[in-house]
Amino acid sequence: MGGSVASVVAGVRRATEVDFALVGHQESWRAAADILAVLRGPERTPLPEDEMKDILPWIPPRAVCHVDVGSIVGAKARGLYIDSFIPPDRLEDAYVHENIVRVRGAAACAIKAGAKIVSLGGFSSILIEGNFDQLPERHDTVFTTGNTLTVGFIVQGVKKMCALEGRDLLRSTLLIVGATGDVGSGCARCLAPLVSRVLLSARNVARLRRLAAELQADGVQVEIATDPHRFSVEADIVICAASLPSPSLLLGQIAPYALVCDAGYPKNLSPSAEMPGAKVFFGGLGQITGGLRFAPDLHGILNRHPFPDVVHGCLLEGMALALEGRFEPFSRGRGSITRERVEEIETIAARHGIYLAPLYNAGGPVEDGLHCDREWPKRICA
Amino acid sequence: MEPLIGLNCSTIECTSLSTSALIWQDVLAQAMTGELVAAMNYTALSRICDDPEEVADALEHAEIERGHAAAFAAEGRKIGVDVANNVDAKHWKRLRKAFMRCIAERDFIGCLIVQEIMLESFAVASYARVGRVAPGSLAVTFAFIAEEEEEHIDHAVAILKTERALDAQRFDDKVYHLHLDVMTTLAKMLAQECKDGHCEVCHGSCVKPSLFEVSLSAVELRGASLQQYLRTLDILGIPGEVTLAWVAQLPVS
Repeated sequence: MGGSVASVVAGVRRATEVDFALVGHQESWRAAADILAVLRGPERTPLPEDEMKDILPWIPPRAVCHVDVGSIVGAKARGLYIDSFIPPDRLEDAYVHENIVRVRGAAACAIKAGAKIVSLGGFSSILIEGNFDQLPERHDTVFTTGNTLTVGFIVQGVKKMCALEGRDLLRSTLLIVGATGDVGSGCARCLAPLVSRVLLSARNVARLRRLAAELQADGVQVEIATDPHRFSVEADIVICAASLPSPSLLLGQIAPYALVCDAGYPKNLSPSAEMPGAKVFFGGLGQITGGLRFAPDLHGILNRHPFPDVVHGCLLEGMALALEGRFEPFSRGRGSITRERVEEIETIAARHGIYLAPLYNAGGPVEDGLHCDREWPKRICA
Repeated sequence: MEPLIGLNCSTIECTSLSTSALIWQDVLAQAMTGELVAAMNYTALSRICDDPEEVADALEHAEIERGHAAAFAAEGRKIGVDVANNVDAKHWKRLRKAFMRCIAERDFIGCLIVQEIMLESFAVASYARVGRVAPGSLAVTFAFIAEEEEEHIDHAVAILKTERALDAQRFDDKVYHLHLDVMTTLAKMLAQECKDGHCEVCHGSCVKPSLFEVSLSAVELRGASLQQYLRTLDILGIPGEVTLAWVAQLPVS
């Protein structure tokens, strides 16, 4: 930590070389309140909720904390978490232009800080995906959506859940909701060769047809529909790659034995009484085993998961690439995620001790143990 | 405390004044008081400047601020209200004292930080918001003065960036100490409610709860002011995570 009174009071150290930056925002007012409470310090009362909701939307995008990540092979990388301060209740389409401005502002902060690689987390990635030209002039900073590693962890999660539940993936019917997006199409390419039948659902028919044709060319049995409910009862495995506006509609009609991977953003599928036999789990999350530190200490606040050091795959991609010393725009959006690229980033991540996180859902863990299974990637590759 | 500017108003028939005119009266009174405090600050600054050019600059700024105050008074007359001012009102007095401590230490840089970065951020942001919703020439005046005050910030930023380049840590510590003093007072002024009692500028009860009647709100004015302040600190090069913590630690009531 630096000796400056100003920075010591702020609980942060002086800026040093920045390998990576993580651009994100808070999913809930509770999370935002917890961050501000840490920054206010224990000697001050937390901001009342109404005051916090009045102040937060005015905060310009900026770094919130320093992030140090370690690798199991000894590499270290230093980074910044930059919050775009998109208010948690303004994620809808109506705010898209305002939110793009905020993400651009956050990107500018990363560039100004000299970050070599920037991962766009959660909604930031959705906003900018395929629109990298909307980012500021980048100088020596590269941007990645992080979607390739997200796909890797979704696919690993589906395989692991099948193994835990004794399901045969090869005999399964897979439904992907939000199939034409970057993450959805990446999951389709990775899993289609491993299942008996693929059902694709998305709003854009032309894109659905293109993706179906691509998969069919490889001999995959594919059907498409703009309405996911048409397929929901037929699927053994469902990947929700897009956040659903009415999740209960889908879950209410789903096969009672289905495995449901909530890979959308924000995650809003919960196990419900209407689907007592179905298993819901969150997809796309990884766990760092080589060390993760925040200054000021926002552990468990920035990464609010039931297991330690769990982070979204999109953010982990930038950290893994920084640990590897590969400062390149690995994921650029536009549906270009392939099996080969997924395997490549999984290998890089695993080399530095970044693995699939233990599986859980809104109700808590769906498997035993606090830590990821380090051998799991090897076993599924085998 | 007598107003610093003789308004020389004709007798105004107040019985027919609309509710909004009474709200604008208080908004103008706050703005006018701020301008007069700024004018006093620049005049004091001119006395510690060694460089004749800096002396002239400070005196010119003081004159401009007095002009702003006169413009606000004139806007009041147009809508039929007498715009009072009170540079000795408790919050403004505290802000003035903070500035005068820098003067006593002959701290030119500290003076610029207090006046141009902190007080002007507040002025630019709030005047710009008022300029968007006020009627007629009132809007034009607020918007015009917001632009002029922004030029003051630009002028100071150039000097302060040079100063920070010499010793960033020392500079940031200085800003932080002034922030604790000045921004804590400003934050109380900008709180949704004046919980410490009457501000001694509003002519009757606190104007804040009534601002919605003229499409303004205390929340918006506070938010815009803090945003402008953070952006100005960003331009100076103070790390965003540091200034975020500073602002997060401010009182909200």
